[in-house]
Amino acid sequence: MIDWHQLAIDSASTIAMVVIATGLIQTGFYIVQLVYAGAALAARPPISRASLLWRRYADHAPPIAVLAPAFNEEVTIVESVNSLLALHYPDFEVIVINDGSKDGTLQRMIDHFGVERVERFYDLSVQHQPIRGLYASPRLPRLLVVDKENGGKSDALNAGINVSRAPLFCSIDADSLLESDALLRAVRPYIEEPTLTVAVGGTIRIANGSKIAAGRVLEVKLPAKFLALVQIVEYLRAFLMARLALSKMQILMVISGAFGLFKRELAVEVGGYSHGTVGEDMELIVKLHRLLRDRKQPYRIEFIPEPVCWTEAPDDLTILGRQRARWQRGALECFFKHKDMLFNPRYGRIGFLGFGQVLIVDVLGPIVEVLGYVLVPLLWAVGLLAVEYLLAFVAITFTFGIFVSVATLILEEVELRRFPRASDLVILTFISVIENFGYRQLSNFWRLRGFWQFLRKQQGWGQMTRKGFQSAS
Amino acid sequence: MSTLYALWLVSLIISLIALAIMVGLIIARWISQRRARAREAERRRLVPLLLGGEANGEQLAEAERAPDLLTDLATELIQMVRGEDKENFVASAERLGVAERLRYRLDHGSPRTRLAAAEALADFADDAISMDRLRRALDDPNADVRLAAALALASVGQAPPARELVEKLGLGTHESSALTVGLFEEVARERPGEIRELIEAPDTHPYVKVAAIDALSASGDYSLVPIIAKLVLAAPDDAEELPRYLDALGDFGHPAAASAVSKVLDSPEWKVRAAAAEAAGKIGMTDAANRLAALLSDSHWWVRFRAGEALALLGETGRWALTEAAEHAPEPARSTAQLTLAERGLA
Repeated sequence: MIDWHQLAIDSASTIAMVVIATGLIQTGFYIVQLVYAGAALAARPPISRASLLWRRYADHAPPIAVLAPAFNEEVTIVESVNSLLALHYPDFEVIVINDGSKDGTLQRMIDHFGVERVERFYDLSVQHQPIRGLYASPRLPRLLVVDKENGGKSDALNAGINVSRAPLFCSIDADSLLESDALLRAVRPYIEEPTLTVAVGGTIRIANGSKIAAGRVLEVKLPAKFLALVQIVEYLRAFLMARLALSKMQILMVISGAFGLFKRELAVEVGGYSHGTVGEDMELIVKLHRLLRDRKQPYRIEFIPEPVCWTEAPDDLTILGRQRARWQRGALECFFKHKDMLFNPRYGRIGFLGFGQVLIVDVLGPIVEVLGYVLVPLLWAVGLLAVEYLLAFVAITFTFGIFVSVATLILEEVELRRFPRASDLVILTFISVIENFGYRQLSNFWRLRGFWQFLRKQQGWGQMTRKGFQSAS
Repeated sequence: MSTLYALWLVSLIISLIALAIMVGLIIARWISQRRARAREAERRRLVPLLLGGEANGEQLAEAERAPDLLTDLATELIQMVRGEDKENFVASAERLGVAERLRYRLDHGSPRTRLAAAEALADFADDAISMDRLRRALDDPNADVRLAAALALASVGQAPPARELVEKLGLGTHESSALTVGLFEEVARERPGEIRELIEAPDTHPYVKVAAIDALSASGDYSLVPIIAKLVLAAPDDAEELPRYLDALGDFGHPAAASAVSKVLDSPEWKVRAAAAEAAGKIGMTDAANRLAALLSDSHWWVRFRAGEALALLGETGRWALTEAAEHAPEPARSTAQLTLAERGLA
């Protein structure tokens, strides 16, 4: 006769063990990342002054095309372009791609910079919506404006790739601010390993709360709002720990769309940015891995810990929720599109570790964790689970979470010291603890929403309300 | 104790340890913040004194009690002055023990500190001990430090022979930095023969050969042209270094390279065709105009682009070929020619 009670207990234990094991693998991977990130930071070259970098690299730095897609940026476009033209780099060109803006973005540029229609012979290798015209001025030889029909960010970047002639291109977000020496810092891997390096990402930092003027961050300050603060801790984990470690392991799977430096020739070979996905930045990297692994060609995709780019983080729950759901959808689209690479020996560490990490952290992680939040306390409350299961679940979701966040903050303080005041550290330590109680669960809910949107094949970016950079001063 | 309970305990313990470390770091930061204010005040006091040189000898002698601050400040300021001022400044810094401190850092610091010290010591070229220490740093276990030391020595004309540099830095085998070209350029300023020898020697690694060629391509030493042309003819079609040989020939712009360039204009490799077309334009190979015009319909955009550019550089002959293609050639040669003419204002 079936012992139903025992069967219920066994089933509950199995469910809890799956939840705990998944969380444990995830935590284990984070701890490995912390070790690798620590090693990478300890071994990095000195952070030199911009003048020293210039002296060191000026004669050997390859030309770079900075691609700045713009859609309805009438209000901010002049300041953004001025800030880009003021970058410190020996040989660069700023290509602003007006992606069929419905406002006066193009006219503002024509009026302010005096650009006029020109002819230029450009490549047609990667696909994008038709280019309506190119604009330049002999007065500003570094600036080229591309006016094209609307097609979205990846489409605009593809047009920029086709039009650019530099061996490297730097893709940026319209709403990000670059440090004036960002290109000089980011080009380092291309100088050190010019043949092997195919893509480089840099640290993105949150500018909310900081003092900003004329497109430059003048003084780093913490934001006042909780949501912006909690994202600072998240970005530290994402960039300082995860991306740095994954780069050290040579399994970096994504370079943020806000700042990435790529070899143009290879980006063209993989067809540029993909259309019809919101994870185009991740997909470009995966396509590069695939191409170079298929060819058995040695290569490096690097991440540099130096801050190169500042972004405005959403401090509103609705917008943040949309952003996180979109990121989740992007990761899933990319994962399932390239699922044949998962655990495929042909792709070596990318197939096993890179895709394995995406499977655990992005595909299974949120589902299993939310399942755990519902089932583990419930099963314990009805007496089907021993208290040890509950404690182990709390360990993998809360206490290890605190450890990972605080350990990342320790890395930041020991190696980089980018937060200027001791009080900043007190606040961020506090946030590292309390984010695990409420925000983490909310974040998982947003990711599940992204999962749902992915399953329903929902496209588009959703409404993103841009507030522009707000100076604390 | 069950495994699950142990997991809970471990998570608690390591989280508490992390928090305790963080509290320690916050206290350390608070203390260093207070010290930083004093340090900043001292910096502000020292800058004018250092810039004043010997006249402030007594006051500066006090600063020797804070050797690290003095060293950092002096190396920073040395970069900002030029000419006689710089010489005086370096002499003052040396008297104050800055060079000695940098040598200490080069011997005992972390790789990051050693690298910065090696770079800074280049400003103390007259100090034999510092230069000797830099030469020793060519055997440093860290590759970046070795390269920084080599660049520092080369920048003051004190680099060891080029062959020795190749060996010590592992150029071509362990080191492939683009800065190698700069290193060779510096060496070539004083001893071009050593770099030339690297190009001519059959056993030189292709990477080293290419860097040496790049370093000498702006030298105007036309006797190198036949040597590089020979390398072009000997290289297999898919050799990675072939386009760079052609770039160098283009930079020389000497007609002695024409036959080698002409030979690879139809290479199966698009990078070679593009580099050959570019070189043909720079050399002024008017007799290759028809072949360049044929490349206007190449399957690869870069080849078409370089062919159009090359024709535009060939004066009347090239312009005629472009006009002909713009009017009569099929696509893609037609639009390549039309846009090349329009872009260059030749239409």
